[in-house]
Amino acid sequence: MTIKIAVIQFPGSNCDLDTIHVLNDVIGVEASLIWHNHFKEAQFDGCVLPGGFSFGDYLRSGIIAAHSPSIDEARIMLKDGRPVIGICNGMQILTEAQFLPGALLRNDSLKFVCKWVNIKVENNKTAFTNKMNIGDNLAIPIAHAEGRYFTDNLKELEENDQIVFKYANEKGEITEEANPNGSMENIAGVCNLEQNCLGLMPHPERASEKILSPKNTTHGKLFFESMIEFIKRRTS
Amino acid sequence: MPKVEINGKELNVDLTESEISQIQDLLQRGPSITEWGMFDVMHSEHCSYKSSRPKLKLFENAEENYDYVLAGPGEDAGVIDIGDGYCLAFRIESHNHPSAIEPYHGAATGIGGIIRDVLCMGVRPIALLDPLRFGTLKDNPHSQWLFKYVVKGIADYGNCTGIPTIGGEVEFDKSFESNCLVNVACIGLGTIEDFRHAPSKATTPGDYVILMGGSTGRDGIHGVTFASRTLTEMLEADRPAVQIGDPFTKKMIIEATLEAVKTGFVRGLKDLGGGGLSCALSELTGDGGTGGDIDMSKIFTREPGMNSFEIMLSESQERMTFIVKPEGLETVLEVFRKFEMAHAVVGRTNDSRVLKVHDGENLVVNLPATSLSDAPPIIREEKRPSYLDALLSQKTPEPTLELEDILYELIASENICSKEWIYRQYDHEVGVRSVVKCGDGDSGVLRIIGTNKFISASVGTNSKHCFLDPCEGAKGGLVEVCGNVLASGAKPLAMVNCCNFGNPEKPESFWFFSRAIDGIADFCKELRIPIVGGNVSLYNEDEVSNTAIKPTPVIMIVGVIEGKENIVTLPFKEAGNDILLIGDTKAELGGSEYHSVIYDLEGGIPPKVNQQKIKARWDLLLELYENDYVKANHDVNKGGFIVTIAEMCFKNRFGANLDLQDHDIYGLRDDELLFSESVGRFIIETSPKNLDEILEMAKKHNITVNKIGVIKSNPEINIKGLKKKQIKLDINKLKHLYDSTIPDLMEI
Repeated sequence: MTIKIAVIQFPGSNCDLDTIHVLNDVIGVEASLIWHNHFKEAQFDGCVLPGGFSFGDYLRSGIIAAHSPSIDEARIMLKDGRPVIGICNGMQILTEAQFLPGALLRNDSLKFVCKWVNIKVENNKTAFTNKMNIGDNLAIPIAHAEGRYFTDNLKELEENDQIVFKYANEKGEITEEANPNGSMENIAGVCNLEQNCLGLMPHPERASEKILSPKNTTHGKLFFESMIEFIKRRTS
Repeated sequence: MPKVEINGKELNVDLTESEISQIQDLLQRGPSITEWGMFDVMHSEHCSYKSSRPKLKLFENAEENYDYVLAGPGEDAGVIDIGDGYCLAFRIESHNHPSAIEPYHGAATGIGGIIRDVLCMGVRPIALLDPLRFGTLKDNPHSQWLFKYVVKGIADYGNCTGIPTIGGEVEFDKSFESNCLVNVACIGLGTIEDFRHAPSKATTPGDYVILMGGSTGRDGIHGVTFASRTLTEMLEADRPAVQIGDPFTKKMIIEATLEAVKTGFVRGLKDLGGGGLSCALSELTGDGGTGGDIDMSKIFTREPGMNSFEIMLSESQERMTFIVKPEGLETVLEVFRKFEMAHAVVGRTNDSRVLKVHDGENLVVNLPATSLSDAPPIIREEKRPSYLDALLSQKTPEPTLELEDILYELIASENICSKEWIYRQYDHEVGVRSVVKCGDGDSGVLRIIGTNKFISASVGTNSKHCFLDPCEGAKGGLVEVCGNVLASGAKPLAMVNCCNFGNPEKPESFWFFSRAIDGIADFCKELRIPIVGGNVSLYNEDEVSNTAIKPTPVIMIVGVIEGKENIVTLPFKEAGNDILLIGDTKAELGGSEYHSVIYDLEGGIPPKVNQQKIKARWDLLLELYENDYVKANHDVNKGGFIVTIAEMCFKNRFGANLDLQDHDIYGLRDDELLFSESVGRFIIETSPKNLDEILEMAKKHNITVNKIGVIKSNPEINIKGLKKKQIKLDINKLKHLYDSTIPDLMEI
């Protein structure tokens, strides 16, 4: 079977083409760029809400996109057990749509920050981390102004194993210095209870090719390969 | 300011008496108020280049002399053919005055404008670079305010539009305290076919004229006239002349425009920037040899009751004009509808060669299409300032500080220290093309996905050197920026420039401009670098203190690297490798950071450029690359070559053992040798096994190349071979100082 992935293009999305490039040219699946108003879940095995901005992030990051018809489609997809990932702005949309717990606040530096960081895998059971090991330390870049993760229900998240990634230093230690934005507990990514929806602030599509990585790594590929693996297992 | 009379009322115009009589002679009638306004903006220095044009004729014609140049000066952006069917469009522009009074929106809309210029060549904007100038930051809240919000303006706008800011350059000098410089550059990538699709002309009668994007408001009226004056005390009054940026709409315009161009039905494309509709409509029809009938009531405005004068002169951001083939009208409109972009068919082209604008029953504009762009050139007087002799004869004092302490102070100085505080705020990776990232190379390097080609780009100049000798300084800027591109492994292919100078009406200010242009023209001709575009920003003076900025002819160079293996980066790679210095060091401390940081001196003898030698060094470097001899490369810039070596040590915490005895062929003082800013030098890392061959090749090119040391694994630089004593520097301390300066000043 051909696996079909939709990359949703919201007005103002800007990592949409980057994600399409990685899925098509690096991972080798059939990924299509779908305008947000045209998205129909039934035609796809999974979807990606790409990073960047949506609707200029005017008002609040992700809030306008969270009311797009495509979000209703994504909800159906998730209920049906298919995978949905939100990268950076996509994560902001998923939290605004309340598919994921918590919220993303302005970085504690009050500034946009673009740099390579490390994230440690805390949960490898999700639709997007099944090719990783717990404790893996991934090299991946961030680029955001509103990435400080906050939740009222930290305990619940921990109990339900919904914390998927934490910012770490190069040695894999979760320290305050390694936290680039002031996120609670260094949280870089969380999933829903069913573990088929993941949101993360770092950009796997920017970390999927050696040539782009300062450390010659391709850790970003693992997210998309896990997604494909999940879809294959689901449908077989 | 001269006045003209319309219906018994007087109107102020920024036109000279001779321009006024020329316009009246041409039309054989008194222009309407709207027409006067249009002449006023189109004859402004910003739109007409009336002072600079006679001088710019010295530039070689790029399109005639270089077969890979597809579009040269006069177009919205320069375009070059880089092979495999791809082309690069690029341009640089200033947004100095708006940024000086409203740094956030001034800088943001500067980015907006330059993106539009590249977009209207039909290609996707893929990179931004920003050369900046501010007053010194220390103890200067005003400079800190300008710096902070200019950087934020660039970041917010660039990041939102999804165009990575891959490089830039900044200098801090008190001459820029009230008149900061914000230059913005953009690179676009596309196929040659994309470019051919969208000329900035309306060549065919009967096509539709469509306005798409933001609405026309009262902001930015007379922005270009404002940019063609010096900043005065009436800053608050000028604030409405600054436009407000809307990066989200810009992003939508980019996508909608590129999709519209792909339909093949767009015959002409022009952005609305300085001069607004007046400029876009008159240039489209004037350059295309057609005329146009425009219905003003179709133009969607932000507020009711705007009159024709305001509509034709508004510089509201985020607007594009499309010239569309009649048979493709619906298809193009459908694209705009998909992106939910406001648009209106505002008129049609015809063969009348006259631009007419109707406001209901009234014909408010009725002008020959070319008349607006025919501002007569003005020959400006020039005079070398007499104060230069005193400056040039300043001597370097005998250092009283230890050389180590001087180096620690230099590395922490505002002009040398790390600029990470700036580029962390820029999304420099969006687009997944950024192969060499900010801080890792002398220039930003981008890949072209689907090929094995890479683009290298850099910007800059040295304002202090240009102040002492604008001709040699401008050449030095070219050497430096070409050097950045070369140090990354690319051959410099083409250049655009942004000339920031003082009031051209003052002969002493105009002399700086004139001499800088002489230098650029001469250098580019001899080193075979086509000049494919430029922007001139004059009137950069602070009238309150009556000081002009230091002359700043900013250079932007793009180059291409064939093959990933040929990309060179700055950090040292391996302990035990040799450190070679290409080029010789002379006693050229005029305008150096050493002079300014340690002695607060502006004068001295600035570096001179020997064009033949520079060419030979470049040839040598390219030959070394071909043989894969160069492991790391960094061009020598502010502070001298020890600073260069320290920067190369930082990333991997290496050190170096240096012996400078053989390098000093001119019998220099220790401080001259260490801190000279002689241009065109490079520090390269090479393997000891290739040393003999490299020196042999250098001899063949008649170039000075010295092995001055070896890379060490312990983070320490030891320097011997000086006249006075040995020096030992701690890399960790240098790095800490290098990293702390700007955060310490800006993070309160």
